[in-house]
Amino acid sequence: MSEIKSLDPTTVLQVEQLQVSFMHHGRETRAVDNISFKLHQGESIGIVGESGSGKSVTALSIMNLLNAPPAKINSGEIFFNSKKYGNTDLLKLPEQKLRSIRGNEIAMIFQEPMSSLNPVYTCGNQVDEAIQVHLNLNKAEAKEKTLELFREVKLPRPEKIYDAYPHEISGGQKQRVMISMAMSCNPSILIADEPTTALDVTVQANILRVMEGLRENHDASLIFISHDLGVIAEVADRIIVMYEGKIVEEGNVFKIFNNPEHPYTKGLLACRPRLDVQMKRLPTVSDFMTIGDSSGNGQKKHYKSIGEALLLNAELKKETIEKRLEVIQGGPILQVKNLTTTFPIHKGLFGKAKEEVVAVDDVSFDIYPGETVGLVGESGCGKTTLGRSIIRLVDPKAGQIIFNGQNIHELSGETLRQLRKKIQIIFQDPYSSLNPRQTVGNAIAEPLKIHEILTNKKEREARVYDLLEKVGLSPSHFHRYPHEFSGGQRQRICIARALATNPQFIICDESVSALDVSVQAQVLNLLNDLKKEFRFTNLFISHDLSVVKFMADRIFVMNDGRLVEMGYPDALFDRPKEAYTRNLIEAIPKGDVEDIRKAQLRRRLAYARKTLFQNE
Amino acid sequence: MLRFLFKRIGYGILVLFGVVVVVFLLFHALPGDPVSLIAGQRSDISTRQSITKELGLDKPLSVQFLRYVNDLSFVSFHEKSPQNQTKYSYKEVMDFGGFIVVLKWPYMRRSFQTNKKVTEIIFDNVDDTLWLAISAMAISSIFGIALGVIAALNQNTFLDHALISVSVLGISIPSFVSAILMAMVFGYYLSDYTGLNLTGQLWVNHPLRGRELQLHNLILPAITLGIRPLAIIVQLTRSAMLEVLSQDYIRTAYAKGLNRFHVVIKHALKNSMNPVITAVSGWLASLMAGAFFVEYIFDWKGLGFITIKAVQSLDFPVVMGVTLFVAAVFVLINIFVDLMYVVIDPRIRLS
Repeated sequence: MSEIKSLDPTTVLQVEQLQVSFMHHGRETRAVDNISFKLHQGESIGIVGESGSGKSVTALSIMNLLNAPPAKINSGEIFFNSKKYGNTDLLKLPEQKLRSIRGNEIAMIFQEPMSSLNPVYTCGNQVDEAIQVHLNLNKAEAKEKTLELFREVKLPRPEKIYDAYPHEISGGQKQRVMISMAMSCNPSILIADEPTTALDVTVQANILRVMEGLRENHDASLIFISHDLGVIAEVADRIIVMYEGKIVEEGNVFKIFNNPEHPYTKGLLACRPRLDVQMKRLPTVSDFMTIGDSSGNGQKKHYKSIGEALLLNAELKKETIEKRLEVIQGGPILQVKNLTTTFPIHKGLFGKAKEEVVAVDDVSFDIYPGETVGLVGESGCGKTTLGRSIIRLVDPKAGQIIFNGQNIHELSGETLRQLRKKIQIIFQDPYSSLNPRQTVGNAIAEPLKIHEILTNKKEREARVYDLLEKVGLSPSHFHRYPHEFSGGQRQRICIARALATNPQFIICDESVSALDVSVQAQVLNLLNDLKKEFRFTNLFISHDLSVVKFMADRIFVMNDGRLVEMGYPDALFDRPKEAYTRNLIEAIPKGDVEDIRKAQLRRRLAYARKTLFQNE
Repeated sequence: MLRFLFKRIGYGILVLFGVVVVVFLLFHALPGDPVSLIAGQRSDISTRQSITKELGLDKPLSVQFLRYVNDLSFVSFHEKSPQNQTKYSYKEVMDFGGFIVVLKWPYMRRSFQTNKKVTEIIFDNVDDTLWLAISAMAISSIFGIALGVIAALNQNTFLDHALISVSVLGISIPSFVSAILMAMVFGYYLSDYTGLNLTGQLWVNHPLRGRELQLHNLILPAITLGIRPLAIIVQLTRSAMLEVLSQDYIRTAYAKGLNRFHVVIKHALKNSMNPVITAVSGWLASLMAGAFFVEYIFDWKGLGFITIKAVQSLDFPVVMGVTLFVAAVFVLINIFVDLMYVVIDPRIRLS
């Protein structure tokens, strides 16, 4: 046990039988359950799994950054081939030595660029600090190095960003600052924990490229953690699939993608919305395996392969056309004419706006009853403002919004309230859009009460029970509080709340962006099922074109406040007219074998070129 | 930045004007006859009349109010006369033929009791209160923040629970009780060991050596006054610190390889200071109002002390003057604190 195993020289990290658990109110939950894996010199491995599968805990254990209580490392060894201390077991290393490894030999990038930088210090200061802790450099030298790193991660105007505070730069830029901080001391291992999950697809593509370039230049090994196999396929040589704290499958990228063995892996691969096949329904992990042992065995027939799942759920061309014909039968339910919404940025002495940002710029479109319209664009393109203008959460500056023949712009007071009964909105963040001090049941019952749909408390309760069941929760959840639910469950609660008033029109504002792909598939299926049952029209706003393609009957592409392109999904994807649309499509990690081959070839070439130069 | 400052000063002036209105109306509604207070026993009718005229009590309330505001304002209008010059000690700006616009310090009239200018009374006593308030706040901020950080770092241990319990006691004990206890224990029973007096002033006139600074007399009242803010600052710092320590950027700081001390002092403390600054400034302002009981019990000749005496003897101009002075201090400290926030947290933009 206490003996340090000698690692073969190509291995930089070896995790042996690691077991981590969390103590909560005297109950022990196992987060990581006896996992072992190796990381070789210059290799990049991807760890994939849903939230709670133990992938982040594994990463934090390597850095020894888990909060000691409640977390507890029960057993295991993590051998690291350190430049400074030779072969060491990181779990047995004294704190002081460990500190000189953290950030120096092993560095980490976190998921949330928004909250991972200290808001009260400038970006430059924070990178300088990381450099000065480990390298013996004075202030001016550290600044020089920081600026060099900023240029390397392709930050625009490095000098300016050096003096900028984190809130003054965009999410993608923050993540670049984080990357340059992590790479500042030439670590031999870089751990990236969902580094692109909070970012737009286009930004994600850029960040992945930057990370790959840096890894090659600095000769680091990479552990890339994500819930999305598509992203991992672009960066990893080898994939480890984790489920409920265990490694369920491990292998090279091609093997995982071409010939997945474990049903969970198959489920993860199948549940991603695809660009090539139009699906009626997304297969979910539960279609491949029984989740949780208590639910009995084998009541449901599981798919054997991804191919089978795709075949059985694909939508025929004929069905698509029928659906489209049906939709345009009636007149439009919502007409938007020349809508413009602006925000003032500088207010004068008497509160008069001096300058304004045009968020929505002269936008016109029609939406037909029963249709799902997808609205895509990058963050800041005005899609959220457009959604909010429609139910007048934001007041538009000019233009008309006509809903069911009523001009929304002219409504006020009681009539506006009536309108909000008919149009509901589901927001992006299921964590902050539910009041933490209100029970789930009350949250769903509230619109019923406010709009005086059901005045009797008993009736309201019955309706809430019904709604909870409809969205796949149980009536026993009525008296629970939001913090007891997972992200996916909370989004289901938000959906139930939106459905409570029986709306004709629902706006989904990035409603699945914060969810894991496996959960996302479930919620998307749920929305589609409910749409059939409740017959609402849906405006589905998202930055993710693949999700929109699965959901939408028609797609609107938005850029800089304007609608730049609209059309049927197949036409839009096959023949995008605008360069902007094409960029959005290309940025989607597709996760098909051809892409993986290209990515790997690129890495091999870079590596070969490098070793060649070194030998000369 | 500058525009923000002007805006805040503008608001501050509005607040002060509101206070002036309330104070003026309140003290004119109160019972008590200023004339007999000033004239005392020698109350022949002509004296009374001249005093009434001097105070303007024969004029309607609105005129009295305008005169009061005119007296208080830094820029005011007066008739040009040597009496007015001595009364207001103004600097002439413009002359409209006997009627002049002047620059001057606010004139808060004279004490009914001593006939001294109220401004003089305030400035004679304000330094005692200022020193007392500042030392009390210094003690409570330094120890409060330190103990709060210690409690947060040892969350849910015996030390944490002990600090919280003691601070609850500190918050709930009334100041007159703590003042009496402190004075009795350290200034009387233990005075042989502590060398402290039961009561005493900052400056003492020694028969031979003249005016002397007696700093040790500051210790007991400052500590007594600091107990409650200290307890509150401990709790605020602790909860803010706990919140900040669970943030992602703290994990980032550890991941850089920084040691715990550095993470706590550089990365966590600055982020958790906002609520503490609010509390500290609020307390400093209210301590400037004079800690009545503490000053009274320790016989500390500060603003609180003279205010209590003035209230007892119905010396309205002094009470009004002190009230306005304290309101002005509040406004100034609040403007200063708003500027502090920006220094500490760059996310707060002045607008």
